[in-house]
Amino acid sequence: MPPSLQIDLAPTHKTGLLVANPVMPASGTFSWGIEFAKQWGVNALGAVVSKGITMESRQGNRQPRVAQTPSGMLNSIGLQNIGIDKVITEMAPLWEKWDVPVIANIAADTVDEFGEMARMLDGVPGIAALELNISCPNVDSGGLEIGQNIDASARATRAAVRNTDLPVIVKLTPNVTDPVKLAVACEEAGAAAICAINTVLGMAIDIRARQPVLPRARGGLSGPAIKPIALRIVYDVANAVHVPVIGCGGIATGEDAIEFLMAGASAVQVGTATFANPRAPLDILDGMCAWMEANRVDDIRELIGAARPQRG
Amino acid sequence: MIIETATVLSTERAYEGTYITWFQGPGLSTNVEPGQFVMVHCSDEGVDPLFARAFSYHRVEKDRFALLYQVVGKGSGWLAQRQHGDLVRMYGPLGNGLRLPERPGNLLLIGGGVGIAPMVDMAERAVAAGHQVVAMMGARSAAHLLPASAWPREVEYVTVTEDGSAGPKGFVTQHLGKYQEWASKIYACGPNPMFIALADALRWNGRRQQPEILMEENMPCGWGMCYGCAIFTKHGVRLCCKDGPRFNLFDVF
Ligand SMILES: Cc1cc2nc3c(=O)[nH]c(=O)nc-3n(C[C@H](O)[C@H](O)[C@H](O)COP(=O)(O)OP(=O)(O)OC[C@H]3O[C@@H](n4cnc5c(N)ncnc54)[C@H](O)[C@@H]3O)c2cc1C
Ligand SMILES: Cc1cc2nc3c(=O)[nH]c(=O)nc-3n(C[C@H](O)[C@H](O)[C@H](O)COP(=O)(O)O)c2cc1C
Ligand code: FES
Repeated sequence: MPPSLQIDLAPTHKTGLLVANPVMPASGTFSWGIEFAKQWGVNALGAVVSKGITMESRQGNRQPRVAQTPSGMLNSIGLQNIGIDKVITEMAPLWEKWDVPVIANIAADTVDEFGEMARMLDGVPGIAALELNISCPNVDSGGLEIGQNIDASARATRAAVRNTDLPVIVKLTPNVTDPVKLAVACEEAGAAAICAINTVLGMAIDIRARQPVLPRARGGLSGPAIKPIALRIVYDVANAVHVPVIGCGGIATGEDAIEFLMAGASAVQVGTATFANPRAPLDILDGMCAWMEANRVDDIRELIGAARPQRG
Repeated sequence: MIIETATVLSTERAYEGTYITWFQGPGLSTNVEPGQFVMVHCSDEGVDPLFARAFSYHRVEKDRFALLYQVVGKGSGWLAQRQHGDLVRMYGPLGNGLRLPERPGNLLLIGGGVGIAPMVDMAERAVAAGHQVVAMMGARSAAHLLPASAWPREVEYVTVTEDGSAGPKGFVTQHLGKYQEWASKIYACGPNPMFIALADALRWNGRRQQPEILMEENMPCGWGMCYGCAIFTKHGVRLCCKDGPRFNLFDVF
């Protein structure tokens, strides 16, 4: 019998967020899912996570937007997207036809705007949950300004939760001293789940030009290079909160996904790996199942937190 | 898009710093448009470089295709060392290719440096469809030119070098001369400064030929997932890999 992979990612929330398996793409590495749906189909995935959505459409940052680094990349895309209105009118109707839940990743400029965007997406057919991006390092306002401040993070969470019946996932930045405090504050403010992590602040310098490679100097580091950082944060956060944790950062194989589950994640997101391998989320899911079968694990829930000090 | 492991048939030096590798790969050789590209994993373990590298189809023949590439770094350097029988993972064909006019015409194909790569496939198809073809290549010196033998016999091949060692001296856009009037359609591939100069050179004649160009940007994914390859056009931001790499010259420059 194939292992049981189903899991509820929002058990404390009234509607819940039931996924058929714990593998989903990471926001901003999957566009709106349309290309993937055409190419391989999305229905085998646990969920789909949209690109970061802003209130107004955005052109994003100028070039260069990416710098490839050892075992990873720095990005400074700057939230290029079509804006919330077009997401509602053009994307959600497509998502509604899919069998998988779609999580809308929203990036507001202010705490209040998180509430407003949550209200606009509430009840939109095709959207199953919200993920608050309070952790984008590549924009002037919103982003880290909120995500590096415990009080602002909690207020953004509360603003969203109050304005929607959808489960609200909060996506944390690793660029703080103590992500656990952030996670706990967001849980108390009503987060149905915590996603960790967004990209790690970094930079690269063009030594010939004697200038940073990226126009904003700093960018977000992602890929295998950040996996140990992400794993440590997932482990610490999962130990401290009672809601599910979605692990993200450098996951490229089924074994990587298993590591995150054992650290305490209930699901995983696959980001940069999809740039290196167009089938990455599907291959990771297959790899995870193969590992479970080879190791006689019947249910994904046996793995969640298996490597944590105190279980249960 | 197809993910395929292609078999290397041969790698040869084409000219200074530039190589041509032939692959056998039935899926990757099917339904290819001229100017489309393929993403090539240029490492043994898939770790460094982490992402595949974009290369234009240089020639396509039945279940085989060739890439023409300049060695500029790790990935292209690795590729140049592949020999007969080696296996290379890649995915493609990707992007929107160049479009041949429906009625036979006078086609001017312009390549700046290794930007000449896709123009050979384009020339082969254009000749087969009954077009008159002039191919112009601009390069640093005679040593950096694609040999004339690379082109179908029907093609008139014109070279321009920066040092004047083969053909007129300067940039290709300074020597469009009579071909500019002759051409009913222009296609170009090369670095952005070449496109800027081309747009300046053509602007006065009413933009008659509506040149199609193939553009380049840093491409982590090659199929519209990462938004790293943005090109800012007069009609808004576009993705080079998914909306391009073919653009109308005057939409961008
Ligand atoms: C659609 C498309 C088609 C292409 N077709 C061809 C082709 O037919 N033949 C060919 O030789 N090259 C082509 N290129 C460029 C090719 O992708 C780069 O030369 C290659 O990625 C370099 O990889 P590397 O690992 O060898 O170099 P890296 O180690 O990544 O870089 C070495 C140097 O090259 C520069 N560089 C890296 N990527 C690019 C790029 N995309 N464009 C310009 N400079 C770059 C870097 O800034 C650095 O200075 C194409 C690019 C695109 C986007
Ligand atoms: C190109 C790129 C764009 C991203 N855009 C977003 C975004 O819009 N919203 C968001 O919450 N995270 C965004 N991220 C962060 C990823 O979702 C993910 O948290 C991070 O890349 C770590 O995972 P990975 O190592 O698997 O890529 C982006 C990452 C990359 C590389
Ligand atoms: S290369 Fe990733 S979107 Fe174009």
